Amino acid sequence: MNLDFSAEQRAFRDEVRAFIRERLPAEIRERLRLGHPPRKQDTVAWQRILHERGWAAPHWPRRYGGADLGLAERLILLDEIYRAPAPLPQAFNTGMLGPVLLKYGTEAQKDHFLPRLARLDLWFCQGFSEPGSGSDLASLRTRAERDGDDYIVNGQKIWTTTAHLADWVFALVRTSTEARKQEGISFLLIDLKTPGITIRPIVSIDGEHHLNEVFFDNVRVSVANRVGDENRGWDCAKYLLVNERSGIANVGLCRERLDYARELASRITEGGRPLAADPKLKAEFAELDAEVRALEVTNWRFLLDPQAQQAQPAFASVLKLKGVELQQALAALLARIDGPAGLERRGIHGVPERHGPLSPRYFYSRAASIYGGTSEVQKDIVAKTIVG
Amino acid sequence: MNFQLNDEQQQLQDSVGRLLADHCSFEQRRAIVASADGRSAALYGRLAELGVTALLVPEAQGGFGGRLEDLLPVLQACGAALCTEPVLASAVLGATALRVAGGEPAARLLPGLAQGTTVVAWAHDEPGTRHADLWIETRAEKGPGGWTISGVKLPVISGPQAQHFVVSARIAGAADATQGCAFFVVDAGAAGLQRRDFRLVDDTPASELTFNATPAQALADPLSDPLSDPHDGAAFQRILTAVNAAGIAALCADMVGAAQAAYRLALDYLNVRKQFGRLIGENQALRHRAADMLVSLEMARSMAIAAAVAADRPEAEDSAADLLRAKLIVGRHARQVCQHAIQCHGGIGMTEEYAVGHCLRRVHVADHLFGDADAQARRLAALLA
Repeated sequence: MNLDFSAEQRAFRDEVRAFIRERLPAEIRERLRLGHPPRKQDTVAWQRILHERGWAAPHWPRRYGGADLGLAERLILLDEIYRAPAPLPQAFNTGMLGPVLLKYGTEAQKDHFLPRLARLDLWFCQGFSEPGSGSDLASLRTRAERDGDDYIVNGQKIWTTTAHLADWVFALVRTSTEARKQEGISFLLIDLKTPGITIRPIVSIDGEHHLNEVFFDNVRVSVANRVGDENRGWDCAKYLLVNERSGIANVGLCRERLDYARELASRITEGGRPLAADPKLKAEFAELDAEVRALEVTNWRFLLDPQAQQAQPAFASVLKLKGVELQQALAALLARIDGPAGLERRGIHGVPERHGPLSPRYFYSRAASIYGGTSEVQKDIVAKTIVG
Repeated sequence: MNFQLNDEQQQLQDSVGRLLADHCSFEQRRAIVASADGRSAALYGRLAELGVTALLVPEAQGGFGGRLEDLLPVLQACGAALCTEPVLASAVLGATALRVAGGEPAARLLPGLAQGTTVVAWAHDEPGTRHADLWIETRAEKGPGGWTISGVKLPVISGPQAQHFVVSARIAGAADATQGCAFFVVDAGAAGLQRRDFRLVDDTPASELTFNATPAQALADPLSDPLSDPHDGAAFQRILTAVNAAGIAALCADMVGAAQAAYRLALDYLNVRKQFGRLIGENQALRHRAADMLVSLEMARSMAIAAAVAADRPEAEDSAADLLRAKLIVGRHARQVCQHAIQCHGGIGMTEEYAVGHCLRRVHVADHLFGDADAQARRLAALLA
């Protein structure tokens, strides 16, 4: 047994590190370090830089703008991006839709969309959730009725992250109500400029606009923009949800936020003493450090050891549960360290200054145990494999 | 990166697993701990036949020259079976102290230790130690007839079974001073040694040793004069660091084994016990508790591996921190798993006759040896500062 990367993998890590050091704009790095989320222009600019090496979509084939990297290399790359910190490649494009197109898309769809997804020429958002469907995704009701070579789409999506920034949406729509609810769903790519689409903001508890409602009123979508067979969209959705797991634990994010918490605590004073000298806080740092290390080793074990995966089929849920727990603990800790000085209300995209938006980020971190399958749903998935 | 057991490790795991299933089932173990000795010399002999006691002993002394990593699956199996044999005391701690010290005592004692005929226990903690990094009040003096030591060691795991003890004692300095200490070998029958035997709360046999001008043999690196050692403390530190690492790795493996056993019992119970006309495992509250147990168990399992790897490679960059992290994580999470497992059982989980409570007792003891989770957090904070 050993926990070391190979010499080649370490060399790759050095290469990634050097690339990021040289190419990541200092302003973007500073904003992220302080706790600002990446702005759209930050994500686009950085993804185009990564794209030069195929690292925007490292798991895709080279011909579509990927780098054909193995899993260990992808974990290393992701870790370095998080630790920089730099914006992640836009996940809807590269982590979700890309793999679905690679598996289910037509040649024309792959040739048209994949290079644009990798370079972020098109920004996709995800139209899965609906009012009332929540974690029971398959109960969705937005319907698409066939009209010649088009579908006519009517209905509503909700919690659509970045729809207001997006060019297109990939959506699950109901094309049949005859069979089991999972069997009447199709997967459509929809241009958000199409007439009949209305996007309304939902302001979240951090006071910001990330989420949207998207309304479809007789929206005409070409059948050519259906991915996979009609009524087989659930296959695409399932594949999308389980395919890309290298980022599910967010180990690098946890490590970077813990480092920043230490840095911040050493700069902030309380009654004339550095906060970092507080024994309770020091012990808390140590405990989180140990938890993050346990998550990191578990992440390697589950993703790189086929035997560990076989032994625990719900490993992705285990990783998400623990990753979310630590992510939320760190966001809360950062807001606590920031203290009263962080209470002044500021926009999350404001001008970088000493206090990043750590309280709003803490508020929004609560979403992590809700999106992508709530922690309760993850526990149900785990329980099914162990309790029966 | 590699997380898999090699063929020899796999074989040893299988044979130890079979041995413990045949000779240390929960019912058999209840009879063993109810006996006067609280352990079974025959069972220890069988473990020795499989090579468990020889694993960490160098080949020159009749051992396999193995590593903690090789012992990991064995110690997990011992933890799961709640085995009370002196595997930790002698095959891990005694063997590591003697191996690192080398010299005449190692050459004399390790062959018997490897065969399982000699038990060498580790006598380092004192009533005033609690979870201090170092606390040695026991004194050593050099007289015309050689070294003698005086003081109290408590608890000494598997003390009642040991023929020899590796004892830390102070030649100079205050109780927490890192210099001025050395290790000694003391025979169980030595003059002026009183032994009070008892059981720990998990049934493990242990002793309190009181030394009163007891003859002792200095244990040190053969390359350095035992007399000069206390002044720089190098040999003492080398032995202590290695035994701490081995102890932490071994206890992490043991706790993962015990937690895994508790987890299995709980899952089995959820699938058979009916209340209100249905299996209790159909209740989401208990299903979620089971999922929480699995997450904790997997974190602990990962860090038990990290601890073994760190103990085998003390020079590696992450090793010192990984040992502390591992003891912290495994201590916390194994305890959590056992507590959840008792809760899943309801009343039956609270009884002496049922195994799940013994898993918590085992983990509780292991958590307190070589520094509990809080102590590890404190040490890790200091290391990372």
